[in-house]
Amino acid sequence: MNRHVKVTPQTTDLSRRSFLVGTAAAGLVLGFAGVSGIDQAFAAASTNFEPSVWYAISQDGLVTVTCGKADMGQHIASTMAQLICEELGAKWTDMRVQLASNDPKFNDPVLGAQITGASWSTMMNFDAMSRAGAAGRMALTEAAAAAMSVPAAELVVRDSTISHTKSKKQMSFADVVKSGKATKTFTPDELKAIKLKTLDQYTMIGVSVPQLDIPSKTDGTAKYGIDVMLPGMVHGAIVTPPVRFGATVKLVDDSSAKKVPGFIKAVTLDDKTGSTTGWVVAVANTYAQAKKAAEALKISYDGGANAKLSSQSLLDEAKRLQGLSDAGQFFVKDGDPAAALGTASKVLEAEYTTNINIHCPMEPMNATAEFKGDILHIYSGNQFATRSGAIAAGAAGIDPKFVVMHQMWLGGGFGRRLDADMMVPAVQAAKAVGKPVKVIYSRENDMTMDYSRPLTYQKVKAGVDGDGKLIAISHDVVSAWPTARWGIPDFLTPSVDKKGPLDAFAVNGADFFYTVPNHYVRTIKNEMAHNATPSGQLRSVAPGWTFWAVESMIDEIAHATGQDPAQFRISLLDGKGKNDGGAQRLRNTLLAAMGLSGYGTRKLPKGEGIGVACVSSQERAAASWTACVAHVAVAPSGTVIVKKLTVATDVGTQVHPDNIRAQVEGAALWGLSLAMYEKATLKDGGIEQTNFDTYTPLRMSQVPEVAVTVIANGEKPTGVGEPAVTVVAPAIGNAIFNACGARVRALPITAEAVKGAMKA
Amino acid sequence: MTTLNINGRNMSVDAVSDTPLLWAIREQLQMTGTKFGCGAGLCGACTVHVNGEAVRSCQTMVGDVAGKKITTIEGLSAKGDHPLQKAWIAEQVPQCGYCQSGQLMQAAALLSKNPNPTKEEVVVHMDGNLCRCMTYSRIQKAIMRAATEMRTASVGGNERRPT
Repeated sequence: MNRHVKVTPQTTDLSRRSFLVGTAAAGLVLGFAGVSGIDQAFAAASTNFEPSVWYAISQDGLVTVTCGKADMGQHIASTMAQLICEELGAKWTDMRVQLASNDPKFNDPVLGAQITGASWSTMMNFDAMSRAGAAGRMALTEAAAAAMSVPAAELVVRDSTISHTKSKKQMSFADVVKSGKATKTFTPDELKAIKLKTLDQYTMIGVSVPQLDIPSKTDGTAKYGIDVMLPGMVHGAIVTPPVRFGATVKLVDDSSAKKVPGFIKAVTLDDKTGSTTGWVVAVANTYAQAKKAAEALKISYDGGANAKLSSQSLLDEAKRLQGLSDAGQFFVKDGDPAAALGTASKVLEAEYTTNINIHCPMEPMNATAEFKGDILHIYSGNQFATRSGAIAAGAAGIDPKFVVMHQMWLGGGFGRRLDADMMVPAVQAAKAVGKPVKVIYSRENDMTMDYSRPLTYQKVKAGVDGDGKLIAISHDVVSAWPTARWGIPDFLTPSVDKKGPLDAFAVNGADFFYTVPNHYVRTIKNEMAHNATPSGQLRSVAPGWTFWAVESMIDEIAHATGQDPAQFRISLLDGKGKNDGGAQRLRNTLLAAMGLSGYGTRKLPKGEGIGVACVSSQERAAASWTACVAHVAVAPSGTVIVKKLTVATDVGTQVHPDNIRAQVEGAALWGLSLAMYEKATLKDGGIEQTNFDTYTPLRMSQVPEVAVTVIANGEKPTGVGEPAVTVVAPAIGNAIFNACGARVRALPITAEAVKGAMKA
Repeated sequence: MTTLNINGRNMSVDAVSDTPLLWAIREQLQMTGTKFGCGAGLCGACTVHVNGEAVRSCQTMVGDVAGKKITTIEGLSAKGDHPLQKAWIAEQVPQCGYCQSGQLMQAAALLSKNPNPTKEEVVVHMDGNLCRCMTYSRIQKAIMRAATEMRTASVGGNERRPT
């Protein structure tokens, strides 16, 4: 028993990345399974049938799927179970899920690491989970055939039961597992040769089954990182400096903290991983005591190199860099925009900006660390166990192979939990006091120490010929580089002008599917912003700003040349050359959104407008084609009310229609929140907003009507968590222009800016 | 030592009187369904009932609630089958789920006083509860569904709507 079928990586469109990330990950985690003591860290069941690392069937017939992806509300654990269930032939009510440790055997079969993001999970695991499910069904069927003395080919598997119609014999999965006869193993080649179901044979995929994690999220029993309780555990509250990055602690005076009952120790972090600067942890018996002690600590700092910087400094620096002809690297270089702009009959030029944005998931960052013998155990909800385990090891000064990451449900991720800063205070406090320590960020720590969406500055020049045809776009994108910060070279992309690698996660989306013969995209790293406001992957990352510029400019060109903005987009999505395939899907998606919203069929009252946008987020190689029609009303004061968002998205194949709608709606509302309500600012090197009174994500009263339509055309499944974030802001901006003639080019959109642009 | 009446039982907690109720519940009593979100009464994740009123437990001190009747998500129903909890499952409301204990407790306080709220009343009552996953429209639908069920006290209103 207990034989494992190793599920091998499958080739996909993303094979380049899969190879590269696999290599990178191998560098981070070595020999995990060979470390003594690690085995004891995991409970192993021996009477179960485990046809693959991804699931086990117990003697009572329950199928427990181990999910290697972080589940932050996208119900990916349930989705993995659904994929397995489809091919296995189990009853949905028999399915259970659990979350994987960082054992490399649970690495993503395509990525070769444990990382959850970029809306990749379903597309990259679909094949592996399907084959794992099918392998289990075949093994069970073979065993049942032998036990019932009937030909395996005559058996039907459905609802966890294997039946032989002619003889009316049947066995449940539980019966077969109890018999101990299901022992067939599969080589990688055999797995690959399995003939999977075709679309028309699906009975589970495409059905909105009840999500397996939801009941535990209605009665308080779901366990998040913050809920971890270990015997003998004490608590840590952190004190973070007034400067986001670069401060050092000069002196800690704990004389007042010592008077707080339960106070144990103040630990100044010595962080060689570069995740934190100038942090101190107050450790006490309870969190309430730790918090009081943290407040009682008197700490003096050296603010460091960034202590005088503000949002304005970052923007000024971005503009300076954009003005340098030799700055940055090229992401797209087609034709010769400079020459084309010289001959164009009309040239448009505009600057687009976005402000700093904060993830602030509802569960503040936290981690619990425990040293047990040679092994460091980390309990935390995290999106990048492979790297975060290495950071924890770095904080402890041990080899990463001695770190076991215990995954928890994530109280929101949105990219924030790709980072591992929370490991450092937990590990160093645990080491300092010799006990397990749970560190919880206050909301103020969480907001001011976010790996934020960076402040961005973009300049776009566009040229049209005498017939109103778009002939050139020159697009500069200046920002901090969120992924370069990780220091994993293979996450970077070669620049087309061979000036070294660039961070595609700072510029994805600018390589759109419109046919523009002369098209340059230059990406410039704003080193000042990069250092002062270390940026992270905020839900949708670069397409959240690149499409703000692209989709606003496309609209500006349409208006400048007297064309309907939607029809203008359709004409540019002609599918010529490299855009073949994607352009047509995006065009169809735009048409779907137009149709669903009744585009062009109604006359609107004065002060109201409709705007469109369409995007190929997240990236060309893995796009979910998404379009939005926004309907707004603008008051003379400039106040904008978003009345309705209509979103269409082409996801190829839908595994769980209801979940896709939930994700797309949530993403669209994120887009609205970022477009209208969320703004963080840097002053004296620190983030000024500290809680939900000044950083203000969308609330229920601000939710407009949202209509979602999902196109499932049988192509490969794509991701749905992020693309709709990126399409909403430009659709709203374009709607505002149509409502009142005001063109806004800065996010978030304010009444003041709208009113100012009306007069202009 | 302070004695708290939580979910119908008297429990003593070793916490000074100015300890936030939130941390006494979560750490001392290890009932972790009530969540910490902001520590400032701005997000609603820590909502519990004190004498039937929805309050923010991060802003409520242990010393102020001794002897009062406190209800947490663990005590909302015996088997997770309060009409709101059933409606939350029927509408498949939660995404990450972290704010949902607070949302449920906030909603339960509304329905106990107003069994037939309008959409506007729901929005006003729920506007202090943040959901970063933005599940707001499903929260609204689930509250309406639960209200209907509580009024008609009918059974079998649990099927999924078509998608």
